Amino acid sequence: MTQIEPEGTRVDWEGALVQRACVGDVRAFERLYREHAGRVYGLCLRMTRDPAVAEDCTQETFINAWKALARFETRSSLATWLHRIAVNVALAKRRKASLIVESSTEDEEEGIEGEWTLETPLEVNEIEAAIAGLPEGARDVLVLNAIYGYSHSEAAQMLGVAEGTCKAQLHRARGLLRKKLGVEVR
Amino acid sequence: MASANDDGERKVTSLRDLPQAVTPPRDLWSGIEARIAADRRAGDGVADERRALVQGRSARLRWIAAAAVVAALAVGIWIGRSLLPTGAVRAPSGTSASTSAGGGTSEVLQAAYVADPKYRRQREALVKSLEARLAALPLDSRAKVIASLATIHKSMQDLQAALGRDPSNALLQELLVNTYQDEMRVLTAVHEASDAGRGI
Repeated sequence: MTQIEPEGTRVDWEGALVQRACVGDVRAFERLYREHAGRVYGLCLRMTRDPAVAEDCTQETFINAWKALARFETRSSLATWLHRIAVNVALAKRRKASLIVESSTEDEEEGIEGEWTLETPLEVNEIEAAIAGLPEGARDVLVLNAIYGYSHSEAAQMLGVAEGTCKAQLHRARGLLRKKLGVEVR
Repeated sequence: MASANDDGERKVTSLRDLPQAVTPPRDLWSGIEARIAADRRAGDGVADERRALVQGRSARLRWIAAAAVVAALAVGIWIGRSLLPTGAVRAPSGTSASTSAGGGTSEVLQAAYVADPKYRRQREALVKSLEARLAALPLDSRAKVIASLATIHKSMQDLQAALGRDPSNALLQELLVNTYQDEMRVLTAVHEASDAGRGI
């Protein structure tokens, strides 16, 4: 995925914190929480559209991460690992609340590797509102791909759908977003 | 929505410029910490999990060893009570045992338990004539012998599997030798009973 910030010293201290948290150091885990909470909450909020549910999902994500920390491989990205957990938690919450309306299709739409560039600059709030108005399946893949930079296959894996479905949903999301925003999305 | 606490009026030209991080409206850590503490109290914390992971292997081996001890004891008692004619036991000397009895023994075990030639010859002879001698036994004796050998071979397999994971475990090695000796006792008993024309 697209790196948020350069690897380097961050990885070093993060690895050390993970190791300490692994042996039960709650303060070290709190440091990790402080570092990653915003991105996890941001993802949960975009997936659930409900701040209260997103808070629950964020807490659940970190609690699950704490329990599974011994299985985390420090070679991989902690941010990605946390996002995987967050996606699972958010999807499980949806299922539990019977909110899922399976709208995904298995159409093998042409893959769309765009930059998600807008024809005209728009306010963040306006774009976020348009994204929030997308159907769940399309919104999930758009958030993971366009905002968090995960590839089609990564997003598909996280969401438990076929890569073709993921591409089709992205295609659909782009079209719907274009309509909602009234500008071309490339 | 996601930008409620960010600069929502800022204009961007790409979705990639949207903020990835959104600060939660309240600090969620206290809730997380409370849950972690509760889990820890319930013995479900990370430290326990790590300890469990580390100890899992040795715990499994201990269970296998304990099960093998029970199985070996049961076989021994059963043999002592119902199979062996008085004074008929001629167990092979030392710790030698045939690796072919259980089949699939690792090289480590072969090195540890390779049989001496005399033992192997005796066992092979007994095994070779086993079928014919079993046929000469009364039906109930035959069933007892077959059941006993099956139990012994199952014990051998379990012990060999456990030793494959922990080749240097002295207790498992000793139990395996005892099991080979048990097998030899049964084979000898069958041999003598059929010679004497009686049951077991």
